Amino acid sequence: MTITETSKIGIAILSLYGTLDALSAPELRNNRSIIDPEKTVVIDLQQVDFIDSSGIGAIVSASRQKRQPSGGIVLACMNDRVRKVFEITNAQKLFHIFDDTTAAVDFASSRQSASA
Amino acid sequence: MNNSNITLTLPAERLFARVARQTASSVADLVIGDDRHEPAGRDFSHAFELAVSEAFTNSVTHARESATPQVVKLTFFFEQRQLVVSVHDANDPFTIETPVPDIESYPENGFGLLIIRKVMDHVTYRREGNYNIISMSKTL
Repeated sequence: MTITETSKIGIAILSLYGTLDALSAPELRNNRSIIDPEKTVVIDLQQVDFIDSSGIGAIVSASRQKRQPSGGIVLACMNDRVRKVFEITNAQKLFHIFDDTTAAVDFASSRQSASA
Repeated sequence: MNNSNITLTLPAERLFARVARQTASSVADLVIGDDRHEPAGRDFSHAFELAVSEAFTNSVTHARESATPQVVKLTFFFEQRQLVVSVHDANDPFTIETPVPDIESYPENGFGLLIIRKVMDHVTYRREGNYNIISMSKTL
């Protein structure tokens, strides 16, 4: 898996490419923006071609790192394969999910401002 | 591949989960045939691939420390429109009747067997000697 990190209005955007499984999950878990409890992060999942329970666990774990678990990680651009696994595990209930990164960043920014 | 067995023996290491998964996907595509480009075919293949990935990862996660390298054996079989995979390992016994994780507590683990039970039509577990055998099937 490759993680590309960009920033927009102070929000980190992690774009994931490839497979998010037991082998690659530690890379996400150890990402600097993920482990910073104060940082709100948007994770763009559009280019994830496969995710399993280890990948779901890594994203849930990322959320637990945040000062506000329910808003510290915002998800964007889920494709059908990713969405299905989130739905099976019910993990979609834990996250705000947007169809595009712009809406996700706007939401994350408003949450970050509100909690500052 | 009617009535044909495909057997794959892999080291019990995370790296090889991808080999197990990609093999599962290829076998599923083989039995689906031309329908693999249709939504139902893609869903079938994805479900099968996901279940095999989960079962293999589960075997690797619980593999015992041992002087001899541990392996996981997968056997694929297709008969009467039913694709079956059996996953064998030499780990301690377990149960597939695990509770569904409480999502409100932000669980990081425990989703694997839940996913398997949800995406496959039939899942059984048995112990044969020192081996766990989880068998999973899905009908086309």
